[in-house]
Amino acid sequence: MLNTYAVIGLYALVALTFPFIVLLFARLVRPSKPNPLKNSTYECGMETIGDTWVQFRAQYYLFALVFVVFDVEVVFLYPWAVAYGKLGLFALVEMALFIGLLAVALVYAWRKGILEWQ
Amino acid sequence: MLNTLNVVRLLPELILLVTALVVIFVDLYARRRTALWLLPGVSIAGLVLAFVAAFAQWGAQEVVAGTLAADSFAFYFKLVAAVTVVLVILASVRYMRERTRFLGEFYAFLLVATLAVFVAVSATDLITVYLGLETLSIVSYVLTGFLRDDKRSNEAAIKYFLYGAVASAIMLYGFSLLYGLTGTTDLAEIARRLQAGDVLANLEWVAWPAVILAAVGFAFKASLVPFHQWAPDAYEGAPTPVTMFLSTVSKATGFAVMARVFLTAMPSLGEYWMALLYGLAILTMTVGNLIALRQTSVKRMLAYSSIAHAGFILMGLVAVTAPAGGHPFNGLDGVLMYVVAYAFTNAGAFAVVAAVEDGTGDATLDNFAGLIARAPFLAAAMLIFLLSLAGVPPLAGFAAKLFVFAPVVRQEYYALAVVALVNAVVAAGYYLKVVKQMFFVEVPERPAFAVARGMRWALWLMIIGVFGVGIFMNWFAFMSVRSAAGMLGL
Repeated sequence: MLNTYAVIGLYALVALTFPFIVLLFARLVRPSKPNPLKNSTYECGMETIGDTWVQFRAQYYLFALVFVVFDVEVVFLYPWAVAYGKLGLFALVEMALFIGLLAVALVYAWRKGILEWQ
Repeated sequence: MLNTLNVVRLLPELILLVTALVVIFVDLYARRRTALWLLPGVSIAGLVLAFVAAFAQWGAQEVVAGTLAADSFAFYFKLVAAVTVVLVILASVRYMRERTRFLGEFYAFLLVATLAVFVAVSATDLITVYLGLETLSIVSYVLTGFLRDDKRSNEAAIKYFLYGAVASAIMLYGFSLLYGLTGTTDLAEIARRLQAGDVLANLEWVAWPAVILAAVGFAFKASLVPFHQWAPDAYEGAPTPVTMFLSTVSKATGFAVMARVFLTAMPSLGEYWMALLYGLAILTMTVGNLIALRQTSVKRMLAYSSIAHAGFILMGLVAVTAPAGGHPFNGLDGVLMYVVAYAFTNAGAFAVVAAVEDGTGDATLDNFAGLIARAPFLAAAMLIFLLSLAGVPPLAGFAAKLFVFAPVVRQEYYALAVVALVNAVVAAGYYLKVVKQMFFVEVPERPAFAVARGMRWALWLMIIGVFGVGIFMNWFAFMSVRSAAGMLGL
């Protein structure tokens, strides 16, 4: 019993120290030649334009929510598709119900005009 | 696999799900004029169908798909929930129409909440218990904060959400301890493995925290002191029809789940959870009543009174026994009686509050002054509900109190009985304060106001319910005793 926990403890210890060791090692072996150009902030190879602290539109949030519909659907569809041969008719009906319910969510979003960018 | 799944047993749930979907489509495609009556109409039709489906199967005793019990206990709570939500919908037709444009969502959410209740009260597996309770909670948060432009509604939802999230996490921790103790999430299997002996002999020190932590989640739903702090704010800030739902159906679900988990999974830990519930019962009724005494808003006063009543319901669970021959007064039947009596009574009181809010703008005690002259029907209805809350025969509240006091006295928990008795008297004090305000304080300059039609129907139904439970006590007792019997292994 205690032995099994010792293994977990050891594993946790290694997991916690490993990033520090890597970072420390990299710091020791890498060359360090900073210049102003290197230290400047950039975005896609260009200097940034405007302030970083802009407010995002709340509408992105709705898009993200609608995205979840497809996201979750795919997460469940893949294992279902892989094991389809073994699962048979029951799983097919179940998946049809599941997709049907998710489709309602999409239809709802569509009719309520959430997909239209305002 | 399909042959082990008896779909008929899930008919009430399926009906509710389909109704919720239909409501969404009605909201999307019907014109607003049509939707105004079609939305509540479809919702009520679905609930009535679900009620019939559950009523026809009351008396069954089986487990569907290994996770949902189709037994009388579950069906009993489903019947109470379906009826109460119909009343909530009737009471909310005008109230919500004047306060929000998102009517389709409101009714769909109410139906989904009811579906979650159905799942939670029949769950026989810790995972399904959690699924039901969590779905109910999340939908309740949304319903509480439904009035987007109302600051108090938003505040109530945030408080409810924060408390609920923490309570859920604590409850899950308790579940994980139970799973760690027994290696299963099935309630009946947990009981078998706990009784097998060596588990408790070696790890009894884990059992106590497991019971307490799991109880926190249920106590939160049932708003027991000290897990009640969310309740007054949520009840007061939420749209009043939602308060009707939270204070009756949601609370009953807490008790149903608590009873099932403790009685099926932990009969061998009885001394632990009974001691815990004994303390919680005394604390809940006393604290709830004492704070209710000083409220100036009738809505908030009823919120605290609702907390106090949770203590009374708990008495039944504290005194639960399995008397030979399946006689009444086994404690659990008291919980069931109380739940149905309380559903009509408290939903009724909150419905009157909603009607007064509609007529005068606010539900302060001051606005109830001289109600008899301005809205006689409301005043009379409120009088009946308050008397029932106080436990005056022949109303529902009396039957309920009888069925929770009797087992407590029979089990010789005299201290609890005395505390409860004193509390019942204290509660009558603040109920009568409202009565005095309605009937004996005259305010000539205030105008009379009318009551919406749906609300009037709801109030009539609840008045009939309050008298019905009180007068046909025998029939309700029969239902309760039979519903409780399966759970107690009789």
